[in-house]
Amino acid sequence: MKCDKCGHDAVMHAGYSGAHLCDEHFRASVEKRVRRRIRSDGLVPRDATTEDPNRWVIGLSGGKDSVVLAQILDDTFDRDPRIDVIALTIHEGIEGYRDESVDACVELASDLDIHHELVSYEEEFGVRMDDVVDEDPEGMAPCAYCGVFRRDLLETYAEKLDADLLLTGHNLDDEAQTALMNVLNGDVEQMAKHFDASLGPLGERADQAAFVPRAKPLRDIPEKEVALYAHLRDLPAHITECPHASEAFRGEIQELLLKLEADHPGTRHSIVSGYEEVASMAADRYRGESTPDLRECAECGSQTTREVCRKCRLLESIRAM
Amino acid sequence: MRVTVEVVGEETRNVDVAADATYADLARAVGYSPHEVSVMVDGSPVPEDQPVDAGRVRVLRLIKGGSSGATLGPPS
Repeated sequence: MKCDKCGHDAVMHAGYSGAHLCDEHFRASVEKRVRRRIRSDGLVPRDATTEDPNRWVIGLSGGKDSVVLAQILDDTFDRDPRIDVIALTIHEGIEGYRDESVDACVELASDLDIHHELVSYEEEFGVRMDDVVDEDPEGMAPCAYCGVFRRDLLETYAEKLDADLLLTGHNLDDEAQTALMNVLNGDVEQMAKHFDASLGPLGERADQAAFVPRAKPLRDIPEKEVALYAHLRDLPAHITECPHASEAFRGEIQELLLKLEADHPGTRHSIVSGYEEVASMAADRYRGESTPDLRECAECGSQTTREVCRKCRLLESIRAM
Repeated sequence: MRVTVEVVGEETRNVDVAADATYADLARAVGYSPHEVSVMVDGSPVPEDQPVDAGRVRVLRLIKGGSSGATLGPPS
């Protein structure tokens, strides 16, 4: 098979568009889609200047998604003095897994010459995920604890680093799964929150003064294409799966989406684009109606709707074991 | 047609496929959706709709990123 654009050997076929692309044109196509998403989400503010640059913090896990995101953002903004890119890596305390991916993060940050902040559950909370998994005081999946802790540190450090934007490497498959999970859960209010937290163009979101806004510029790129991009550019992505990964429902949805995509190419794109439109309408509908008041957690001071935040409640039950 | 398929990190198998099989068919024959693997011939990725024309291929599984999984929702 030959590339549609130049006639060189194709390295990929995109079933959803019919395109066959060579190494060079495939990479250009990924970069073009990421940059288009950055524009359509309005991520670069008009008032960012050389004197007062916008600071972007990337959640860099060392996996292919965040590594590709960091590389493309650096390619795009390295010479743009209006944008200052910083990487933030979180060590969860998972033996033999996170140590290696942290190495990948250090290598990439050094290659790109960007500031790199490394924080750990152990230093911040006095817990390691390996121990949490053994003790499991709440009878939950490992990802349920880990997600709460990770989100807390991403938010806390984005704030500490004075970030204007927090960027994560969620790809099209991740977003299609989350969209379908929210639909199947019947959780329209969650869709509204999703829109205002990370999905909508910055100018269309409700003001979330308490939080650094988030964005996902890779969300138009299928997971397979992110992996292929990392491979073709020989980026230092870490390639082992988390030994504790266990999101049962997400796994079922992933299987379902793979089947649908095989029979009906383009399903993931249409799910996400329809979901974004519905989430936008839901955000309008719920705005100002059911937003519970945020207050400071009595334990750690982070923003929460309860007296003590979820992270502190989980830490308390872990320490009680 | 008999093809040797090395699933990286797992096993190597000989697979019999039809003469007009594609690399997507080969991925499915070893139990993967073409959307969760890349098929490599002589070190280069190949389009999955291309007819198989190699005696030996490597199949690279997709590894979940690490930024995914946890849904970054609003505070609880």
